[in-house]
Amino acid sequence: MNLIESVKSAFRSVFSNKMRSFLTMLGIIIGISSVIMITSVGQGSQVALTGEFDKLGVNMLTISLKDPSKATSRDQLTMEDIEIIKNHPQVTSVTPLYQGGNAQIQLRNPKEYRSSILIGVNESYKDISALDFLYGRFLIDTDVKMKSKVAIIDDGLAKEIFGYDDVIGQQVYVQVKQVKHPFTVIGVIKNPMGDFASLFPDQIPAMLYMPIGAVHDLYGTNQIQNFAVAIQDKDRINDTSLELTKMLEKKHRNENQYYVQSATESLDVINKVLGYFTAFISFVAGISLLVGGIGVMNIMLVTVTERTREIGIRKSLGAKNKDIRIQFLIEAMILTIIGGLIGIGFGYLGGLGIGSLMKITPKVSLVVVLLTVTLSSMIGIIFGVYPANKAAKLDPIEALRYE
Amino acid sequence: MITIKKLTKVYQNGQFQVEALRSVNLTVEAKEFVSIMGPSGSGKSTMMNIIGCLDRSTSGEYYLDEVSISSLKDDALADIRNKKIGFVFQSFNLLPKLTALENVELPMVYAGIGAKERKDRAMDALKKVGLEERVYHKPNELSGGQRQRVAIARALVNEPSILLADEPTGNLDSRSGEEIMGIFQDLNQEGATIVMVTHEPEIAAYTKRIVTFRDGEIISDELVENPLSTRRNFL
Repeated sequence: MNLIESVKSAFRSVFSNKMRSFLTMLGIIIGISSVIMITSVGQGSQVALTGEFDKLGVNMLTISLKDPSKATSRDQLTMEDIEIIKNHPQVTSVTPLYQGGNAQIQLRNPKEYRSSILIGVNESYKDISALDFLYGRFLIDTDVKMKSKVAIIDDGLAKEIFGYDDVIGQQVYVQVKQVKHPFTVIGVIKNPMGDFASLFPDQIPAMLYMPIGAVHDLYGTNQIQNFAVAIQDKDRINDTSLELTKMLEKKHRNENQYYVQSATESLDVINKVLGYFTAFISFVAGISLLVGGIGVMNIMLVTVTERTREIGIRKSLGAKNKDIRIQFLIEAMILTIIGGLIGIGFGYLGGLGIGSLMKITPKVSLVVVLLTVTLSSMIGIIFGVYPANKAAKLDPIEALRYE
Repeated sequence: MITIKKLTKVYQNGQFQVEALRSVNLTVEAKEFVSIMGPSGSGKSTMMNIIGCLDRSTSGEYYLDEVSISSLKDDALADIRNKKIGFVFQSFNLLPKLTALENVELPMVYAGIGAKERKDRAMDALKKVGLEERVYHKPNELSGGQRQRVAIARALVNEPSILLADEPTGNLDSRSGEEIMGIFQDLNQEGATIVMVTHEPEIAAYTKRIVTFRDGEIISDELVENPLSTRRNFL
């Protein structure tokens, strides 16, 4: 008996018992669709995150103190270090960064505040971080030199304060250490956190860009938390990191105090975490596949018992043990493969649903589809072998007598 | 065609041994039409199963077309059932979800014959038993006599050496039974070798030789002088 005949006859018996076949497939459908749904959303988020990081620029470095609590005043980063860093031929621009926390920004209702982070930078920051300007401009060197009380805010915050987003020239009130300071809005950018942030407006603080001197004045400090550095050639990122560290160590006459991190590094870390997370949930979903497989085995055993007489007839007509075994094995595989295909469809739809909630595009890769199809046929084989063997080993005389 | 020497079959039934066949000798030549008779428990069904290669003997020799069957493995036995033996059962044993045509095609599927040839040959076989109008009907849309004719067509379609019928008229009314016996006689006339198990003397009277079993042994083996003839031609 050739394979095509076996497949045809298996299809016939699977479809002659539609309800039972469907219920049997259900376990596989649920298992496969959960796996597809989770991996598609997981991969979609990875793509989205990578996109966000690309906006920040992959040829960016940040230099910071390894452990600020152990650093002495000699080790602290200073404004003079900017000149040192600029001397490196790879460096195209540098900005110092001071992020002031514990700030509140007054909203439309003067009694309501939203927590904010005040990011003090210089005019070079716009070369390093691709900010998406809707209105106005970024800081210029006079703003930085004069420590002007100006700020760049994002469109989300603008709408929260003013109800609209073209707010150039308007005053915003920033409260630091119980004191309110007015700042003039000179630029409005698109929220750089993208659509993720708009999902949780209360949890994510608003970010305001200001001249670093102005922020220093608010907090009464001249500390620099880190330098953001843009370099020319991203393939030379590792060499440049080392060289910049050496240069700073020479100037501060210390060792092993500075830490240089590239944007790609943090992206890798986040992707790794996301990958583990996806794998773990997929594993949990995989357990439902195991349960589905046991369901298939159970029904196949019932089928073999019900069709004992048919097996006897087929054997009396010359079916070999292997013909019977293949017939039942293929039936089990058809159940799991069709279940798998339906599961891929439902999983994709589910991924689209969750993706539209999270504002990401779910991504179903060909590899995952091929893997799940292989997985479902494997389940068919693994859980079909025992019933198929049982069928193949039936004694023809006993089987023919079976009522 | 069939040579059986000192054939013994012992069943282990709990701690008891039951001897279903005791040193049976039997020869069936080509073109014979033999009925095997005997009360239930006489060993006739066991004999039938062994001749049909569904069962193996405990000891003794069985040659079919000069091939020794006793030592063959399962797959080889399946091959012999497929190519050399055509079964006709009391309860027809058609597959209910297949049409008459597909049922007749089944032995050829296991013989590895292509779809086109299968269909042609199955059509011819069904035409031969007078069912060309009913080829696309399922068994439950056919009468008992028609079902048995489908079974005969299925038994013949691989051109076996021998046709084995186990109480072929047992589930039929007497008119259909007579029809089936007529078909067997015509087939025998055309050269088919037929061995039939029955417990009805009226049915055995249509055959040319009657072998009677009792307690696992052959107690008589007689030629029928004037086999009963059916009134009409069926083929």
